[in-house]
Amino acid sequence: VVFSADEASNIIKECVDSIIGGIDYNHSKINQWTAAVVEQSLMHLVKMGKPFKYIVTCAIMQKSGAGLHTASSCYWDSSTDGSCTVRWENRTMYCVISVFAVSIML
Amino acid sequence: MHCRGSFGRINRSFRLILTFFVNIIMSDIAKDKAARLLKKTGSFSSLSSYDVKVKENMRKQKDSMSTVSYMDDPGHHDDLPRPAQQMENTYQLNPTKYFPGATVNNILKDVLASYLQEEKYEPELCRQMTKTISEVIKARIKDLMIPRYKIIVLIHIGQLNEQSIRIGSRCLWNSSTDTFSSFSFCNRSLFAVANVFAVYFE
Repeated sequence: VVFSADEASNIIKECVDSIIGGIDYNHSKINQWTAAVVEQSLMHLVKMGKPFKYIVTCAIMQKSGAGLHTASSCYWDSSTDGSCTVRWENRTMYCVISVFAVSIML
Repeated sequence: MHCRGSFGRINRSFRLILTFFVNIIMSDIAKDKAARLLKKTGSFSSLSSYDVKVKENMRKQKDSMSTVSYMDDPGHHDDLPRPAQQMENTYQLNPTKYFPGATVNNILKDVLASYLQEEKYEPELCRQMTKTISEVIKARIKDLMIPRYKIIVLIHIGQLNEQSIRIGSRCLWNSSTDTFSSFSFCNRSLFAVANVFAVYFE
């Protein structure tokens, strides 16, 4: 079974839109949002029922002209494992979500 | 901007047929994809980096934009699909050697401090730096020779600008064998966060 990055990215986009869709950056709620985005995405990924272990990371940053760079390097079996990164933004913040899926079957 | 890599192993002939069909369709999106498929050269690692570029073909819902990017390891794919290998049962319930969280933490501290101690934030430099640092960390963890563990290294480097950033992650795994390690570093003009996830392959 191969990881389908397309499906995963659609799921994630929906999750993020539903949680922080039209909202402006709010420092007191940011904790709650990150947790919610990550938990919802993970839940939906698991519902797909594929034999994978998942790692979901979300970085939310306020828009203030600062730059952000993200890189990842993975040591795995590239025929079965995969990753997907979704960059989302609205008027006041950036959100970068990475999903890594590691297969648990030969 | 879509960056499409190949999943699994695509046969060379299949790839040619695919490009042929794509050319027939003759739309901007398809041409773009085809060009990228052909242009794809071996870059050594699965890297994704945030680019500030104008995004085309985006669905705008309530003033929000999203892009998807995922890159695979084009250099490491075989041309002929490898037959699925049947492995013998190891009858092993637990790993013989567990992932050493403390050692890895020291590695992260070491690498981040040595690469970023004196650096000032610059877009080009930091873009290269994130990729280099993630490769270096992965190599050093591989040197520890911990069998049957898959490693994922995730690095964020950003400018310090009176803004706040929150990075969170959740994992669905076996918590008795799998673990993670994290370290954050900052100097006067930039901050760096390194996360390492180790997943046991049963």
